[in-house]
Amino acid sequence: MWRTTLTVGLAFVLAIAGTFVFGYRAGRQARLLHFENEPIRPWMSVPFIAHTHHVPTSVLFQAIGVEPREPHDRRSVRRIARETNRPVPELMAELQRAINVASHSPGGPPP
Amino acid sequence: MSEQLLAAVSQYGAPALFGIVAIAALGVPLPITLLLIVSGAMVSQGAMNLWWTIGAAGVGSILGDQAGYAIGRWGGGVAVSKLGRLLGKRSRLEAMEAKARVWGGPGIFLTRWLISALGPWINLASGTAGYPWHRFVFWDALGEFTGAVLYISLGRFFSDHVMALYAVLGDLTWAVAALLIAIVLGYQLLVHLRREHLR
Repeated sequence: MWRTTLTVGLAFVLAIAGTFVFGYRAGRQARLLHFENEPIRPWMSVPFIAHTHHVPTSVLFQAIGVEPREPHDRRSVRRIARETNRPVPELMAELQRAINVASHSPGGPPP
Repeated sequence: MSEQLLAAVSQYGAPALFGIVAIAALGVPLPITLLLIVSGAMVSQGAMNLWWTIGAAGVGSILGDQAGYAIGRWGGGVAVSKLGRLLGKRSRLEAMEAKARVWGGPGIFLTRWLISALGPWINLASGTAGYPWHRFVFWDALGEFTGAVLYISLGRFFSDHVMALYAVLGDLTWAVAALLIAIVLGYQLLVHLRREHLR
């Protein structure tokens, strides 16, 4: 009987510890939500990246030398890279540079 | 795999979301929460319509869940064991069957959006356990639309931090799951201690 109680007690302590550990991690990451910039990922489209970094879409398309398709160009970075025969990391680096330039320009990114 | 799915939703919108959530509801492990958050971000960018997105996510998931339930209820032993193999061990399905009987509606509701990894198991187990279909549909629809509205709204609100938000929600889900387990274990511990005290 006492063995069962001990096992349940240990499991209870573990569950409480898990609650605090994951709760703390969630809280820490939530605090960073408004301060950290979203990293560029290959699945993201150029308008998506422009939105997350508060930069005009046309600036990013111009930076990578791609003419956007009408009416909405939602191709992923990976697909644009494939269609233009360029490596994905190179395209991502170009986009990141354009974001950095737009963010540090006198007018700054739009709010 | 996740990257391709995210790219598909990003490019093709609600129809892609509909197909992916329906497949996931059958037990294929796909990052549905992340897809819903990204869809919410796309709604805020004007790339997707809010109601179509919620509708596609909700209805797609419900159709997938119904297929899982139907296999459990009317599919016979062969179909159940085939889907069971896709999900894992047979003993796990039996354990889920017992849970489906005990937890009933609230269990179905919570496994649609909070502990969604158990969702396909509960669908199958609810069918094999003979849980009434009309009740299953009610709790299933309630849970799926709760999840769709919740995660799409979060994606809309935090549209410029979707990946960070996904990380927060991942930890938060574990924290809530650990808390629920702690509550159950705490209750059991109390019962054990009272029994020993009475001896």
